Amino acid sequence: MAMVLKAGARFRSAVCDAQVMVVKAPPGEHELHCGGAAMLGGSAPAPEGLSLDSARAGGTLIGKRYVNQDESLELLATKGGKGTLALDGMALDVKQAKQLPSSD
Amino acid sequence: MGAAQQPGGLIAAAEETARRYAEQCLRAHGLPRAPRPIDLAAEHPAAAAARCGLMMLTGDAGGEPELCPAPIAACADGVLAALEAIAPAGVLNGLRGSQLLTERAAITGALRNGAISPNGSCRLLQTCDGMIALNLPREDDWSLLPAWLEDRVEPVWDAVSIRVAARRVETLVERGRLLGLAVADASLRSGTGPLLPQLSPASGGGRGSWLGQAQKRPLVVDLSSLWAGPLCTHLLQLCGAEVIKVESLHRPDGARDGSAVLFDLMHAGKRSVALDFKTDAGRAQLRALLQRADIVVEASRPRALRQLGIDAPALLAARPQQTWISLTGYGRTEPQAQWIAYGDDAGAAAGLSSMLHAATGRWLICGDAIADPLAGLHAALAAWAGWLGGGGGLVELPLADVVHHCAGFELRHTPHERWRAWMQHLSASHQPVLAPRSRIPQAHAAALGADTAAVLSALQIEPAPAC
Repeated sequence: MAMVLKAGARFRSAVCDAQVMVVKAPPGEHELHCGGAAMLGGSAPAPEGLSLDSARAGGTLIGKRYVNQDESLELLATKGGKGTLALDGMALDVKQAKQLPSSD
Repeated sequence: MGAAQQPGGLIAAAEETARRYAEQCLRAHGLPRAPRPIDLAAEHPAAAAARCGLMMLTGDAGGEPELCPAPIAACADGVLAALEAIAPAGVLNGLRGSQLLTERAAITGALRNGAISPNGSCRLLQTCDGMIALNLPREDDWSLLPAWLEDRVEPVWDAVSIRVAARRVETLVERGRLLGLAVADASLRSGTGPLLPQLSPASGGGRGSWLGQAQKRPLVVDLSSLWAGPLCTHLLQLCGAEVIKVESLHRPDGARDGSAVLFDLMHAGKRSVALDFKTDAGRAQLRALLQRADIVVEASRPRALRQLGIDAPALLAARPQQTWISLTGYGRTEPQAQWIAYGDDAGAAAGLSSMLHAATGRWLICGDAIADPLAGLHAALAAWAGWLGGGGGLVELPLADVVHHCAGFELRHTPHERWRAWMQHLSASHQPVLAPRSRIPQAHAAALGADTAAVLSALQIEPAPAC
């Protein structure tokens, strides 16, 4: 199910514990998946009968930021899980860790 | 009013605040009697704030310096005096805790700037229902603001403050924490603070082995960055510890890109080890170093170390004679373990800005990243006391809690009443409001990784395979 992704929107995996917040997103409608199943927004209940696709179970780590190839999409994992995040069928990669500040 | 009524009718002189704080610190660490007396001259907490530069760093840019009605400078003097009383004689001579609160600003030239932190990265912002502190020290933090505010926003403070003004504190803080932003409710946390962090000796770690330990030099492994942790290990080094600063080869201490004078001051004389945390070999070296340490100092979120395969409680269980200092923003329990804080926002979270507001009617930042040096001082005492006692276990020092504890120390009236009394004392005492001063570094800090090979070899840790 394709949907519009807006900065600040939150989604959760239908098949594992992962949760994300959209940091930035490309315009238009997209398919956002985790562990092989479409991610859920708001309080939508998970459809029955879904399970984690073992081929898409690379894991999502809390606190890491995930990007697509051209970095037009960026998600922050607010909760870790077993599934791999994917946009329009392409798995997302971990973005480099933030540089430390020079002073605080 | 230079005195406060104590239970039992005794009058406690405000001039002895620092001494009472030092005594409380020693008691909290199970050291009711230190080997040497606490060496502190009587000084009113307001006079200490004026003398050490803290007042000069608080207030509007074009206005007068302001007094925060919290005994931060006195507590800093007290905790360093407590350390001095248990450290080898003479090593901390001439050093005052309160001076360490302000020396970074003396070096960088940062000045008071009202609701903006002296270094410029933190601001107090009005919401529709309160006040938050937002700290954005990393360039990358700005990219998170559209997600935080669920709206397009220009990456400039004016645009951010307009958006924030229409939102609620609770939402901003909750969403900001999810995103890993340093954001705090500035209006909360009045009253007396939590208890001081306690040492928690692991089973087997004996207490009171003073004489045996005093002959040795503890090995300190310091994984921390920026200011709080490095100040802690700098003080331990002055006390005689051998300090190894361990950094990620790919993500070294960001302070290396900041003031070189401050970096030299904090790090001269420490060994520098740089490891590749991305490789199994590098992570194994890190674990091996930690297993040999008498004292570990780190300032990471617990999950960040777990992702490197480092589990503090497990390492401590295997080495009960160790003291592990965990500097965090708000503690290691969930959900606080996920929240980050820097010195300025932690000070606001602890209620310093709200105390200043109660006193002056204006929202102001107190000092320069105040929670950092204050927590660093407390960490140094906890580390040395833990080591002297034969192993202090896991000692949590949440930045916000340390400041909150000091802010609430001997607070028997409202912040405004304390402020009035202290201002009266100040105007009668002729204590001038002095600018921050700094020490001068005696040597340069080691370059990143300068001692990696030598340290690994000396500790008989396998070097990384050459590639």
